[in-house]
Amino acid sequence: MSTVTVDGVEVEVAPGATVLEAARAAGRWVPTVCFDERQAPFGACRVCLVGIEGSPKPLPACTTPCREGMTIATEDATARRVAGAVVELVLSELPEAPAPHTELAQVAARLGVEETRWPGTVHQTDEDFRHPYLALRHELCISCGRCVRACDEVQGAFALTATGRGFEANITAGLDAGFEDSTCVSCGACADTCPTDAITEIRLLPQSTEEGWK
Amino acid sequence: MTTTCGYCGVGCRLETHVRGGRIASITPALDGPANLGHTCLKGRFAHGFTRSPDRLTTPLIREQGELRPASWGEALARVVAELERVKRDHGADAVAGLASSRATNEDCYAMQRLIRAAVGTNNIDNCSRVCHSPTSFAMRKSFGLSGATGSFSDIDHAEVALLLGVNPTQGHPVVGARIKQAALRGCKLITIDPRRIELADYGAIHLAPRPGTNAAVVLGLCHVVRRDGFVDEGFVAARTEGYDVLAELLESYDPAAVEEITGIPAAELEAAAHLYAEAGSASLLWGLGVTEHKYGSEVVQLLCNLAMMTGKVGKPGSALLPLRGQNNVQGSSDMGALPDTYTAYRSVEDEQVALSFEAEWGVPLSRHKGMKIPEMFDAAIAGELKAMYIFGEDVAQTDPDIAHVAAALEGLEFLVCQEIFLNETTNYADVVLPASAFLEKEGTFTNAERRFQVVEPALDPPGEAKTDFEIITTVSRALGHEMGWETPWDALDEIARLTPEYAGVSHERLGRGGLQWPVRADGSDSPTLYDTTFDRPGGRGHFAPLPYKPPGDAADEEFPLVLVTGRVLQHYNAGTMTRRTANADLVDRDLLEIHPVDAARLWIADGDRVSVRSRVGRTEIEARITERIEPGHVFTSFHFPETRTNLLIGQSADVNTSCPEYKVVAVDVRPIAEQPAFSPALGTTT
Repeated sequence: MSTVTVDGVEVEVAPGATVLEAARAAGRWVPTVCFDERQAPFGACRVCLVGIEGSPKPLPACTTPCREGMTIATEDATARRVAGAVVELVLSELPEAPAPHTELAQVAARLGVEETRWPGTVHQTDEDFRHPYLALRHELCISCGRCVRACDEVQGAFALTATGRGFEANITAGLDAGFEDSTCVSCGACADTCPTDAITEIRLLPQSTEEGWK
Repeated sequence: MTTTCGYCGVGCRLETHVRGGRIASITPALDGPANLGHTCLKGRFAHGFTRSPDRLTTPLIREQGELRPASWGEALARVVAELERVKRDHGADAVAGLASSRATNEDCYAMQRLIRAAVGTNNIDNCSRVCHSPTSFAMRKSFGLSGATGSFSDIDHAEVALLLGVNPTQGHPVVGARIKQAALRGCKLITIDPRRIELADYGAIHLAPRPGTNAAVVLGLCHVVRRDGFVDEGFVAARTEGYDVLAELLESYDPAAVEEITGIPAAELEAAAHLYAEAGSASLLWGLGVTEHKYGSEVVQLLCNLAMMTGKVGKPGSALLPLRGQNNVQGSSDMGALPDTYTAYRSVEDEQVALSFEAEWGVPLSRHKGMKIPEMFDAAIAGELKAMYIFGEDVAQTDPDIAHVAAALEGLEFLVCQEIFLNETTNYADVVLPASAFLEKEGTFTNAERRFQVVEPALDPPGEAKTDFEIITTVSRALGHEMGWETPWDALDEIARLTPEYAGVSHERLGRGGLQWPVRADGSDSPTLYDTTFDRPGGRGHFAPLPYKPPGDAADEEFPLVLVTGRVLQHYNAGTMTRRTANADLVDRDLLEIHPVDAARLWIADGDRVSVRSRVGRTEIEARITERIEPGHVFTSFHFPETRTNLLIGQSADVNTSCPEYKVVAVDVRPIAEQPAFSPALGTTT
């Protein structure tokens, strides 16, 4: 065990614990987007930045291991400014604001990101409703990789892959054949982890009527 | 609301989200100890059946051959009048009841109390008879207690996992995913199954024995362990008894002899034995591919031998984990819904135990064992059994030799079914009582790692349907036996009070994570059994010296292929629930898997409808050509009633527990248009 200080509170953490785990153990909130406790830390989104005493710049909490005596500031001004800008950039690519119940919308609200200062090209609507349970709306994908990792690390079906680069980056099920014709086992772990509803239960979409439910 | 999944025996904890009186969505509970924030397409998506338009919403009474809606008062009066009449005219032993492995512990406990105390007979059984009764029998013989020796978390710590007769990625998807992840992290898998199951692709060694030869496989593994010096002598000396007799028996199971019986190349068997024995920790997992055989219970005892010889039991990563079929296979039997035992497998012939139940219930109880399910059907045909109360089990679809079952049900004077849908069995019912699905009830399920977990209702039962708990307690009251419980939690308190193994179980203590029995009075539970001693007289594990014996059926000239039955990922047993969801859009029929070599020889193309004939019945199924199955074998599922797979299954059953031999049926397969006289010559292939 080692002892670290989070926002002035001392907490004991297990060997190998990350700064994010320490912050959560101390009851402190750290914004995250690409993190899911069921998956190995990925460190891609750079939203979970925190200040660490002695470090010249903020560090991502989800991939930084704790050191004995470390002093962590979850509300470090630079960290929060950068995290807010990252979320704002992510939102700028979406054709519509993510639904209020989604993780991305909640992180944005808590960071005080209301609208983006960088209007520009947004993703075009590209929907796949072929599967009886799973809806795929590519335009809401922010390439956090959580669905791909859920499919690989939680289920082990390897049905989803990341494709494209930059603005074109997205995910694809079964080399674009759709869920049904891939190795997908319909477990729904991807929909469960998606922070934007790019993959969601088809029955939860507004266009899905009561009568259509099965 | 957080509840426990009502599909397989993994016991996933689920969060239910309700909108407008129906389930909007189900998500996995992040803190579920068995599922760790994951679930499969059945638990997550297949809940629509609860509000299917054909749900039973009112009691039904048969009149002039037809079932018509009736009031609860009328239906209950009919049930009580008929049960009392049969009891008066023929005695209490002319009545029998079946509890359900899909129902809660409290439902099953109430059902056995109804049959024992209100009716007055031990003719009570449950559907674990046809799946894991051999596991229960064998583990009690070898180790003492009827349950897994460890927990699913042992999979995460095992260096090696040996899977015999189980296909977890289809039957137990969340544990299947857990095993696959363990394999990807370096756990070496040994898969033993007539079919090349998906996990074989991620494993170190796959062995494909002939169906019905599991005993020879395990004896062969034990032979190599002994021959090559891998016996944990210290463990065997300190913790076990009967090794010498087994050692003598093992002499005759050298790899060459085993290859002769099983078809497994000697070198592969040796490699598997070495891999298992040399590992620092190794777990054994099995399913119905072990139990549903003539000597299924003996193979479980042999698996226990293998674990004891190598000292791989009662340690982290070294567990014996039977994967239970239905959500509450463990609990329905734990609760005493069995003809020979009260709660925690205590014999009905045990005077002290019987007295404790008599004191609690205030009625005299029978000291004679009751009938097992197959015996009930035989007795009904013989005219000795006159009335049955069947709760949550479609015996006319799922039990073997369904022509025989139908004749038995036909022969009854009175049949009451307590169900959520009409099914094959309700065709014979005189009264049908509309009951509730798992999403509508409260109580507990016990998963395959002996964990009591809380079930909380997300919905009310539809229409006039009631919870099973309310129905059973009401029928009991009408029969003159007041159970005196307001809620299932009162029943759970009684179970804890009367059962030392569950002494510390209560609603409050179970909380979100549940408790693994034995639960001591202070509430401490038991993730791992037998770390220091076995639960048998003297504390020693027992080596059973059981030789290989051939299965009850074998291929011959007339029936040259061996049929194995099982289930697929998208559906669940009789399909009553999953067929009424969009899972049926993913898979809408049973398929007969056949190897390309057999298919070519029989002029069968992929997708052809074929005739499948066994010694007792015939049905038609669509063929699927695949190399996952070995030549000489065919496989099908039993999810769709129109397939009538169980017409093909004969009366052969486990010698100790009467669990049917669903896994070895000699069949003749041929294209449907073909006349037998003009079909190609069939050689014996196995």
